[in-house]
Amino acid sequence: MEKRRPDPSVFTGSIADVTFLLIIYFMVTASFSATKGLDFAVPKEKQSDVIETEEAVDVHILPGGVFIIDKQQMPLDKLLDYVKPKLERNPNKPIIIRCDPEAEYKYLVDAFDELRQAPKKIGIEIKNISIPTQREMEVINATMGGVF
Amino acid sequence: MKVRRTTSISAYIPTASMADIVFLLIIFFVLTFNTDVDRASRVTLPKSMEREEVPKKAAIVSIDKDQVIRISDGEETSKAVGRAEDVLSFAANIVATQPGKPIVVKADKDLPYKIVDNVVDQLKQARVSIIYLLTDQKTVESKK
Repeated sequence: MEKRRPDPSVFTGSIADVTFLLIIYFMVTASFSATKGLDFAVPKEKQSDVIETEEAVDVHILPGGVFIIDKQQMPLDKLLDYVKPKLERNPNKPIIIRCDPEAEYKYLVDAFDELRQAPKKIGIEIKNISIPTQREMEVINATMGGVF
Repeated sequence: MKVRRTTSISAYIPTASMADIVFLLIIFFVLTFNTDVDRASRVTLPKSMEREEVPKKAAIVSIDKDQVIRISDGEETSKAVGRAEDVLSFAANIVATQPGKPIVVKADKDLPYKIVDNVVDQLKQARVSIIYLLTDQKTVESKK
């Protein structure tokens, strides 16, 4: 009597179980962390031309999100309209963002972000945005005599 | 006249394609998998419309809302440092060993600026060439 041969087959019944376990592992361990931000290149020493502050646009941020632009208080969304004619005359016009030590950090990001959006909003790229630190401002003040 | 059904339909759920779908999900997770070296710090990032992709493995300096500063070279898990001045030696070491490596500042949005300013100043003193201010995406709704 002939014996019946078993059908050759690969057992795949547990593949779904194994792969689900892998998925659960990746879901638990994966992190969708923020990986984007605003970049700014720190000027190299050789390029450290002294900015003529009387020609620069001064953006001063006070606590509570008060923006003083060239000694005039104005809302942030008016900043680009204010700098547009100045940039049309001089595309290299520097813009200095100064933030009060007690002001919240988010307002500095808001101002920086607004200036970085200039190509989209006013069609001009701002090439020279400077965010001096408190120490740098003190050095400038000491050497140039109370600029800030 | 009554017609009798001769065949009965067997009820079953087709599961043959489940493995395919699950494999696709695995491929997605493998590709998007990103180990966060700075899980410890709880930071609410400021929001911005303009955002640049931060290079992978960039060094991180994070400052949480309790003003605790943590550093990571992008490879190892972040560790807390006592003072902002410790950031200078950390950054100087990065610049010496891996020049051109960017450093990401991951600071809480509600921090007083002087805290962030101090850290950025340390990075500038260490001659870090590119600094990123990590942000979340600002949407039209969050702008209102």
